[in-house]
Amino acid sequence: MTQKKKDNLTKVMDYLKYEDPFSKGVAFCPGCGLELLLRFIPQVMGNDIVITGTPSCSAPVLLGQNNQSWHKLSYFGTLMTGAAANATGLARYYRKAGIKNTVVCFNGDGTAADIGFGNLSGAAERNEPFIYICYDNEGYMNTGIQKSGTTPFGATTTTTPFGSASKGKNLRRMNLALKMAMHKIPYAATATLSDLDDLAKKLLKAKEAKKRGFAFLHVFAPCTTGWGFAPENTIEICRRAVKTNYFPLWEAENGKIRMTKTVKKPKPVSTYTELIKKFAHLSEEDLQILQDDVDYEYCMLGGLSLLEGECRLPASLED
Amino acid sequence: MSSNKYFKHEGPWSDSNDPLMCSDTGDWRTKRPVVDKDKCIFCGFCAIYCPIQVMEMVEESCFSPDLDFCKGCGICAKECPKNAISMMPEGDFKK
Amino acid sequence: MITKAQKKSQIKVITGNAAAAIAAKLARPDVVAAYPITPQTEVIEQISQFHANGEMDCELITVEGENSAMNAVMAASLAGGRVFTATSSWGLVFMYDAILAAAGARAPIVMVNVNRETPGIIAVSSGQQDMISTRDAGWIFLIAEDCQEVMDLVLQAYRLAEDYDIQVPVMVHYDGFYLSYLSEGVDVPFQEDVDRFLSVLKTQPERTKLVPGGRLGCGSHGILGGYLELRHKHVSAMERAKAKFEQIDKEYEGIFGRSYGGLVEEYRMDDADVVLVGSGSMCGTIKSVIDEKREEGVKAGLLKMRMYRPFPSEAMIKALKGKKAIGVVDRSLCFGFKGGPIYTELKAFETQLGGSKMISFIDGIANTDITKINVANMIDTTCDLAAGKTVREVTWVSYPEAQKEGGL
Repeated sequence: MTQKKKDNLTKVMDYLKYEDPFSKGVAFCPGCGLELLLRFIPQVMGNDIVITGTPSCSAPVLLGQNNQSWHKLSYFGTLMTGAAANATGLARYYRKAGIKNTVVCFNGDGTAADIGFGNLSGAAERNEPFIYICYDNEGYMNTGIQKSGTTPFGATTTTTPFGSASKGKNLRRMNLALKMAMHKIPYAATATLSDLDDLAKKLLKAKEAKKRGFAFLHVFAPCTTGWGFAPENTIEICRRAVKTNYFPLWEAENGKIRMTKTVKKPKPVSTYTELIKKFAHLSEEDLQILQDDVDYEYCMLGGLSLLEGECRLPASLED
Repeated sequence: MSSNKYFKHEGPWSDSNDPLMCSDTGDWRTKRPVVDKDKCIFCGFCAIYCPIQVMEMVEESCFSPDLDFCKGCGICAKECPKNAISMMPEGDFKK
Repeated sequence: MITKAQKKSQIKVITGNAAAAIAAKLARPDVVAAYPITPQTEVIEQISQFHANGEMDCELITVEGENSAMNAVMAASLAGGRVFTATSSWGLVFMYDAILAAAGARAPIVMVNVNRETPGIIAVSSGQQDMISTRDAGWIFLIAEDCQEVMDLVLQAYRLAEDYDIQVPVMVHYDGFYLSYLSEGVDVPFQEDVDRFLSVLKTQPERTKLVPGGRLGCGSHGILGGYLELRHKHVSAMERAKAKFEQIDKEYEGIFGRSYGGLVEEYRMDDADVVLVGSGSMCGTIKSVIDEKREEGVKAGLLKMRMYRPFPSEAMIKALKGKKAIGVVDRSLCFGFKGGPIYTELKAFETQLGGSKMISFIDGIANTDITKINVANMIDTTCDLAAGKTVREVTWVSYPEAQKEGGL
């Protein structure tokens, strides 16, 4: 009986090779996607990573308080403006000094897509040898839920509130991951928490790609408090984001895009938004605008991935 | 002369060779996950999806939450493919 | 005949920027990150060429902006590396948040800042306004008078910044245009002597370093007393830097044969009645005018500030006490005050100067030359003050319109 049960154990467990370096009791909200991601990364990549963190929801836990710490990792507390440059300095010094290292620059979408995008782009252009992970909760959650560049059309935030003259955010979101892939870095990928095997594989691929230079991971991580959904729905929301193509899963090596999961019959985006209060005010027409944007992005991505066989990489990058 | 009361170092360094900080997040819980061992097929989804990673293996045949830290978010119950976990009001357990 | 073994250095005719670049090379940094900006650009061009030639074994990061330059060297420094960067003006203020962070983290960075104006009215011109804009950042500030001193101060800066008792970033300032592009003879030290000078640091305890798997984190929240403790440690280290710099200056003399007197350089101060207080490239002009005035029988002297942060108040009081009159020459403004920044700060110690009277001169901003005539006028005005005549508290030397009726 016991053996039969053991055969059922999810293969994701096989990726969890290292201990969870975090204290058991840390002050993330119940159901927090960021907390799962933070605990998952070092269990897959090892406890000898050096992690950098900015002022954000992750800061109270990543950064210590006086001499005390919430986790066993080596970390560097960065400014939002210069996170990727800090990681660059670490990785370059370790390379010079011959110190084996995996520097993980861990930031929210506010740092990655907005205030810190310049140095993220610069580090990618220079192909710096570290891993940049953006956990995307579609806004500035720690300061009290404000709009960012990845906040989608229609979402209410405290700086894009719903009112007689506003539907929430009246602009479409930017596609950060695609922008990063266009830097032709060794590795860029999207991932989310419903597909942990896919996330684990991508973390390991990023660690491998880091030997050749810059690796970027864009991880969709819903925020129960900021978006307004029941804490138990965090994983389900990730799943529906994938199944509606709201957040497609793909990877790009040296800029060549490949889907890692294709959804045969994508569900309408309303099956995703219906779980989330920040979209509750949207009319059918408004939802269609969001649907059109999702379709547009997916079409663009699909087109690019079709080119995989046609675009020839420079010979120096061929395996 | 400055003291080293709060920091061992000149700069703002924290040291995890000392005991880690820890909050009693179990106190936050309003609902408690209760696992039906008979229904559990040991797939481990509750454990991998638990944001605080407190679902512990019991005799390699079942999972059980560490109630000292479980925040009661309910993800384990929601993700369990066999509905083997129920979220019970915490008040039912306190007398 | 002098053999190489006896020689302390080799003389080369180079610019101030080249002196900074060569000094950086001699210090053997692990990581250099920089972004071009006039008038600093030549520094990173030269370093890039050294790197391309294989003469400089460092990680060279050609960042996409100054903010990243400071962030990169800060992190590399806290990981344990020796670092160098260079900037000027807008570049300095573009990295302002990282400058504050680097100081608070106690990262022993050495940076040269080639002084240039930072006004809203665009000015590609010399001035110390950029330095003044960052004076309260918690860095140690050193100011060079000529190309030789640029070279010497950069090397001394490494000893000061990385000293175990200090661990505070150091900025070496020199006047843009006047020194950055000025070619003059510079004694370039030999590598083995620089290695010997810096090797003292290796005998000290290792500073805390960010190591993979080391279970230490940098950037901890200072909670309540912890914040106060770190700030007090920082202020205390700044105070210790004064004596340390004096000691480093002496050791430098022992190896390289040049001493400047430490925190301040006193020029013909012993019997001086009137004194100009200055900093940077203006001091060369002031010295030659003082020589001429001395021939006329005017007992004038110069107090040159080599260190501006920490403010060397004790050394200044010691040198200035009992002088009849002091004129402070500022190459920058202190908005909200009539007088210049250094004047305003020295004013805080007026009661300890034994009755010396003080006035402020504003000159040399936006590339206006601090000419010998200007300096002679300043000395004359200070002599008038010493003689008990009524003089203006603040004089814009190159802008007489400021002195018209109803002006400042």
